[in-house]
Amino acid sequence: MGLDYQLVLWNKHKKTYDKIIVFSMLLYVILFAIVTLAFNSETSAETLIIRAFGSLAIIMLHIILIIGPLARLNTNFLPILYNRRHLGVSMFIAALIHGGFSIFQFHALGDTNPVYSIFTSNMDYGSLTNFPFQVLGFLALLILFVMASTSHDFFLGNLSAKVWKRLHMMVYFAYALIIAHVFLGAFQQETSLFTIGILIIGFIAVASLHLITAFKERKIDTTKANEKEGWLEVCDISEIEEDRAKIFTVENERVAVFKYDGKLSAIHNVCKHQGGPLGEGKIIDGCITCPWHGYQYLPNNGQSPPPFTEKVATYELKLDGKTVYINPKAFDEGTEVKPCKY
Amino acid sequence: MKKNDEFYVPYIDGSLGKKTKATLKKFTIGVFVIIIIGALLFSFTQKPFKNSTFELTSATKITGTFHESPYPMLRVEIAKNTYKNILLLGFGKSSVNPFLKKLQNEIKDLNGKTLHIEGNLIYYNGKTLIQITDEEKVTLANTSKTEKPLKELVSKMTLQGEIIDPKCYFGVMKPGKGKIHRSCAVRCISGGIPPVLATTDKNNMSQYFLLTDLKGNPINSDILPYIGKPSEITGIVEKMEDWFIMKINISGIKELNKKSSIY
Repeated sequence: MGLDYQLVLWNKHKKTYDKIIVFSMLLYVILFAIVTLAFNSETSAETLIIRAFGSLAIIMLHIILIIGPLARLNTNFLPILYNRRHLGVSMFIAALIHGGFSIFQFHALGDTNPVYSIFTSNMDYGSLTNFPFQVLGFLALLILFVMASTSHDFFLGNLSAKVWKRLHMMVYFAYALIIAHVFLGAFQQETSLFTIGILIIGFIAVASLHLITAFKERKIDTTKANEKEGWLEVCDISEIEEDRAKIFTVENERVAVFKYDGKLSAIHNVCKHQGGPLGEGKIIDGCITCPWHGYQYLPNNGQSPPPFTEKVATYELKLDGKTVYINPKAFDEGTEVKPCKY
Repeated sequence: MKKNDEFYVPYIDGSLGKKTKATLKKFTIGVFVIIIIGALLFSFTQKPFKNSTFELTSATKITGTFHESPYPMLRVEIAKNTYKNILLLGFGKSSVNPFLKKLQNEIKDLNGKTLHIEGNLIYYNGKTLIQITDEEKVTLANTSKTEKPLKELVSKMTLQGEIIDPKCYFGVMKPGKGKIHRSCAVRCISGGIPPVLATTDKNNMSQYFLLTDLKGNPINSDILPYIGKPSEITGIVEKMEDWFIMKINISGIKELNKKSSIY
């Protein structure tokens, strides 16, 4: 957690993560260049750059897109999710080099504005095979630019987690545009079963991991709960591990029911930072700690410990024997609720 | 979900447990494997590039007879009574005309005059072009008129091929044809670079035809929708020494629903 905004809050793991990103990108570009120059030496430098960075960007995008569902399916992947924004910005840089060189190469130094030229040099919008594929890539680059430029916590804090999340969900629209850009562009001319195959496998991996995750998550939201005098039955107390939580859905909102120090407390499941699942977090030093970036909340009032100011809604719990019940009516964010003792 | 007893918190030293570390190690190795396979596949599967040349960093001075019909060229004697007509091009995606303006202000009609031109050569498959980037590099060698190349009528022909911009196709870009390059070719021809029909026969022999309207005048903007697509074109073909000229009616161009087969 950070109180002031800094360009990057460096730590040892972030440095290692970023070194791996830079090394991987260099490895890709150098390998691509060596193979091209060794076996296809008549290439031009601009074409080599455009192709190396374009193909690198699309591979990086697939890796970025599988991190989310992998972390949902196995918490061991969470540290990769933690620094995903650096990977996203690096991918944007690769896409920008590809797009920048392409726009200069194909549209600059002509009789019209290069951006206007992207949209008007090929007017076959009604044809699939002749479609102006560069428009698709340009729109994807704009989305990636908006995402990369707002990836800092400053924008996250000022736009609100909800708006920020919606903005960054546009990555899926960008992905669709990029796939169409490649299939209607490069693959129309540079047809190879291997490269088409690798992108199809990539799409299947991204889509199937998201579907498996969605299917598993849906189970949480569709579990029918028994009602008793306006209270909903959550579970037997033994089903909740010490210092951990059970996620339960009330009135279409997920709630995290935590068990700690002989007490039970319930707060809204969504972290105010990036929407992380607090119910998959842990009580550390008496605070509910988000598994994504370590943001913390006090279990009894849903408030981040001072000087932090984040607040989430709280819920009332009761015990009937060993069964935990929840009042589905949420209290206002940061409302003190006496923990239920057992 | 597969839960882990370990709980990583970025700002707590030592919170990265053994199981998590092992998973991260496997993931990183997986990423390296994907990076290597990706780089090999995307680089190995590129189609071969042709051996066209653009001398971007070196300038060459040529001397010959200027003629501008149908497009500005310099007729250079490369051996005794053997001439090459070098197509003159401007900087970037533009016509050579702005670079001739200064000299034309001094001598109104440059046709038939001997000029020195210094620029960047572009050449491939017997054709040579030159990019001029500085009007000061176009100078008059002598004012006496010399003969222009003769045009001989060949016949009316129907040919299949692709309309390309010669600047990119003959060396500036690789590949300088097809869908990927179409936007660039449109910009070049729109900017005043002559449209050329490139054809390749069954024996892989290529021919190039400078396209004009039926009266032999330059065509640029009207032909833009047909650039970079396999097409069938009918026209009157003339031979002008080392170039063919094809006089066409643009509305008669037929788009072919097949893959480009030029080169």
